[in-house]
Amino acid sequence: MRPAGSDPRGWRKRFLPEALRKRFRLKTSRPERLRLAGTLRGLLHPLAAVLLGLIAGAIAILAVGGSVVETYVEMWKGAFGSFYYVTTTLARATPIMLVGLGVALAFRAGFFNLGAEGQMLLGALCAAIAGLYLPGPPEWRTIAALVAGVAAGAAWSLLAGWLDLKFRLNLLITTLLLNYIAGLFCSYVVAFPLKDTSGSSGMAQTEMLEKAVWLPKLFPGMILHAGFVFAVVLTLLLFLFLRHTVKGYELRMLGSNPLFAVYGGVRRGALLAIAMLASGGFAGLAGAAEVLGTQYRYIDNALTSPGYAWSGIMAALLAGSHPLGTAAAAILLAALQTGGLGVERNTDVPLEIASVIQATLILFVSARFTLALIRRRKARAADGPAV
Amino acid sequence: MLLRMEGITKVYGGVTANAGVDFTLREGEVHALVGENGAGKTTLMRILYGEEQPTSGTIRLRGREVSFRSPDDAIRAGIGMVHQHFMLFPSFTVAENIVIGREPASGVVFDRRKAAEEVRRLSAEYGMPVDPWRRVADCPVGVQQRVEILKVLYRGADIIILDEPSAVLTPLEVRELLGVIRGLADRGKSVILITHKLQEVMDAADRITVLRDGKVTGTFAAADTNAEELSRLMVGRDLVPLDKRPASPGEAVLEVRDLTIRGGRGKARPVLDRVSFTVRAGEIVGVAGVSGNGQTELVQAIAGLRTVDEGAILLAGHDITGETARRIRERGLAHIPEDRYAWGAAAGESVADNAAMGHTARFGRGGVLLRGRIRRAVEGWVAAYGIRAGSLEAKAGHLSGGNLQKLIVARELAHGTPLVIAAEPTRGVDVGAMETIHRELVRRRDEGGAVLLVSSELTEILKLSDRILVMYEGRIVGELAAEEATEESISLLMTGGTRHAAGGV
Amino acid sequence: MDQLFDVSLFNSTLRMVAPILLAALGGAICARTGVFNVALEGWMLTAAFAAIVGNHFFHNVWLAVLFAVACVTVMALLFAVLTVHLNANVIVVGLAFNFLAAGLTAYGLFAVFGVKGSFYDRNMEGLPRWNLPLAEDIPFVGDVLSGHSPLVYLAFVLAFALQFYLFRTVWGFRLLAAGEHPAAAASVGLRVNRIRIGAILLSGMLCGLAGAQLSLGQVTLFTENMTAGRGFIALVASMLGQNNPLGVMLASLLFGLTDAFGIRLQGFSLPAQFTMMVPYVMTLAAMFFFKDRAYLRQSGRSEGR
Repeated sequence: MRPAGSDPRGWRKRFLPEALRKRFRLKTSRPERLRLAGTLRGLLHPLAAVLLGLIAGAIAILAVGGSVVETYVEMWKGAFGSFYYVTTTLARATPIMLVGLGVALAFRAGFFNLGAEGQMLLGALCAAIAGLYLPGPPEWRTIAALVAGVAAGAAWSLLAGWLDLKFRLNLLITTLLLNYIAGLFCSYVVAFPLKDTSGSSGMAQTEMLEKAVWLPKLFPGMILHAGFVFAVVLTLLLFLFLRHTVKGYELRMLGSNPLFAVYGGVRRGALLAIAMLASGGFAGLAGAAEVLGTQYRYIDNALTSPGYAWSGIMAALLAGSHPLGTAAAAILLAALQTGGLGVERNTDVPLEIASVIQATLILFVSARFTLALIRRRKARAADGPAV
Repeated sequence: MLLRMEGITKVYGGVTANAGVDFTLREGEVHALVGENGAGKTTLMRILYGEEQPTSGTIRLRGREVSFRSPDDAIRAGIGMVHQHFMLFPSFTVAENIVIGREPASGVVFDRRKAAEEVRRLSAEYGMPVDPWRRVADCPVGVQQRVEILKVLYRGADIIILDEPSAVLTPLEVRELLGVIRGLADRGKSVILITHKLQEVMDAADRITVLRDGKVTGTFAAADTNAEELSRLMVGRDLVPLDKRPASPGEAVLEVRDLTIRGGRGKARPVLDRVSFTVRAGEIVGVAGVSGNGQTELVQAIAGLRTVDEGAILLAGHDITGETARRIRERGLAHIPEDRYAWGAAAGESVADNAAMGHTARFGRGGVLLRGRIRRAVEGWVAAYGIRAGSLEAKAGHLSGGNLQKLIVARELAHGTPLVIAAEPTRGVDVGAMETIHRELVRRRDEGGAVLLVSSELTEILKLSDRILVMYEGRIVGELAAEEATEESISLLMTGGTRHAAGGV
Repeated sequence: MDQLFDVSLFNSTLRMVAPILLAALGGAICARTGVFNVALEGWMLTAAFAAIVGNHFFHNVWLAVLFAVACVTVMALLFAVLTVHLNANVIVVGLAFNFLAAGLTAYGLFAVFGVKGSFYDRNMEGLPRWNLPLAEDIPFVGDVLSGHSPLVYLAFVLAFALQFYLFRTVWGFRLLAAGEHPAAAASVGLRVNRIRIGAILLSGMLCGLAGAQLSLGQVTLFTENMTAGRGFIALVASMLGQNNPLGVMLASLLFGLTDAFGIRLQGFSLPAQFTMMVPYVMTLAAMFFFKDRAYLRQSGRSEGR
């Protein structure tokens, strides 16, 4: 230990008990052990949040007179009980993962892009239109539809980014408003010009895409489709991008300390454009993959009522905008939702139990950020101001 | 004796800000408190005003021992403080600013008319004319200061502490201020004037106390001393001799011509006033001065972090005035920032991430960040600078101030750019780190780099610089070669005096 | 043209404006103390649900309103503790509350009423309609102003009351000071944190009234996500009104008018979706007319760049 005079951060002596300090010292000489300890410590908070979420869920279950054990068993079975359910959960997770990854990217750079739903819907609609009306061999049409979806989402997102850059309009609010505008627009398109009038259902939806254009299924008889592969691959790519590329680095620094980034020569404008294009593209891809892989047409409300986009945003917030964590959180949220369906099917507890647990999770995570901040505030207070 | 502060000692962590300070104040007296940055003046007054508690020592007011737990206590005891950075509400009127907290009211309604009347009465009584209905944001700085003083008087202060009051005033406003201070004293108020501007001290004060390194080095009646003696008492630390080869400066690397940044609202004193100087390759130019005289803005302007109104900046022959920070770095600038936590690092990110900033061309290839290269570079820095960082993945915010600063210095010097700006490079840094950083700056100079050193630490300037410029109120007021510079002459320039010491400045 | 702009248009405008106005007043007060409250949406939704629940159990519409206000005030208290005391990120916590509200109300629909999607009780008594004694006889104005629920009138009264509070009283003055320059306010002894918490609680209560008006004000109905972004429109209205209660009132009237106008346009065989877009597009256009200083600071734009 250094003498008191040369250690202005005396808080370490005052706040860490002796045993912890000794362990800390040992670890500082072994980088690998430090990283492992850090990872474990990082997992502790989310696990605690999940536990608290389950407790809150238990209270809600009791409030409707259900059995906690039975409900959670059914929830597990509904999410992971059989191969069918596992693939269903992963299929549901696909759009959540894709949206979540895009949102995580934007949040990491400090940009509150909340327009994922609008971007997703536009991507889905454009993919459906491309898949239905473009000429050419089916494989090309599938790819073109995916590209169209990505481009639509990216462009809508970039619009909000441009408004921020050029006119300094609050990104959070503009992306939210554009959500509603996009949603209503898509709703209109599918209720009037592009409505499928052939069937007898009268639902607001486009015609169905021909089978050759559909995204292939990963397992026969299961609804899990190639979109999940995209999601997994993109998760890894995003992780590598953030950690191992220059642009990813600049993005992270911009989000962490904008002044530091400017000081170091990072250009906010260029990164804003990249972040908005990418996060919008991911959301658009999420919509396109759903259309090409699950629903085979654009159906009004089919993407909004399951709340894919907002679940994606939740996943990013839960995971602190870390790509791998976001993917895991997306699967967790999807599991809660499919589990909820199982609960609804087999018990008297409604599927909305999933919403309760999800909501509690997010609240506890936002509280978690504060615990870390309290510790830091206490430390700083002990230091005293500069002379 | 109205006020007696006896044996005041204040220790923060490992730092002693005040060591056994004695300070007294009579009724109707103007007592100036002078000293360099870090001498302990502000700490002492924060203790008096209840913003801090002394580690030991007593305060006696009118003979009775008192202890102030918060500014409220001090205000109630009749002590008022006008901070260096004004605590005013720009969109409120003068009267609103003065009466806030003690608003005249009829029921729940804020009686603004009555407030204006009372403000008029007060300002007439103390000879400080103000328009109660004018928005403070529209008032010139000199008037804003009057508002701050009236605010304090409105609360019934008998002791008024003024912290660096003339820092932002034009010479005319300063004269008015000194008149106001004398007027207050004549009416029986006691004024404590914290300042580094010795000319004003000699003009306005009755008594002067000099602080250095937390201790009192002298208390005098103004008539019994002069500016030279005071500045000698303000500095005078033991210099650690640095083994420094004489400089052999080459081409001009940085040229600053008539750089001007106007003050707010046009009328106030300019932040930078036609600043011109040159820095050559292979030399260290030190900019001395008490902080707050435009140094921060000068550095930011050169680094591309602040816009300038007039003038030009040339780096290695290229005109970089108004360029982005990125372009300026590409042209050949490295910058050790004054505030390492605000600008120089991302506290929540790892050491490796902090090390890579500005180096992505070197550490990246084809857009990919080569972590191996970063690791090797940082390991080299750790060895060369003695940085204690644990692991590359440790958060930069967990490093001690000295270690983080060493990392930043290593990072910036590793660029090998023609120009390095080092702004307060050893502020808040332990002695060992300070030595290391100084050594490396000199090494950079010996390799042919141009170093612009901006520091409010006079000993640092004297130790490292080949040429010394002194900034005061946004202007360069003196330029000396290192051989002919003495602490006294620089200190005099830093505090507004002239180089030629005449009797009774 | 008079089929488009007639008495019932303006009448329904006032009714639709009320929830936005109430929430926007809350948002404005929070903004005046430096708190960017994005949870207005979730709080309004919770209040709408709580009002229906309260009405169902107490069989008294006034107790229902009180119950709604109480529920949201509790949420607001939690929000205040997290953001003011514990310094959590205001936006993350606000979003968290929006998610929480959506989840709790959806679950609550089933837990309390055993239904999904929406709850409607034909026999439930909603807010009464008050006829203004003097005004109702004036030909045009009377039909516009009369016959609204008390909460509608309260909304406008509160707008004037808050204007008076902020700009004429001592406590309002101190609130403005705390938001304008917290450090200076602290230096004169104001308790900035307390003021912030008070503002958050007040906005909670106002959202409580807003939600109650939404679910009990015309048809006694609760639908999942029935706020449909009104909370965010309220936020923009408060920004457009420069966080000035009367300005907020005018901005809210503007949005309410475009909302009602949009619905009216449906009668002209314009697709519903485009007419429903009108308030959002208007809001976006309105954003060009003010500068959000706090946002600029937050996004780290350095001096003069």
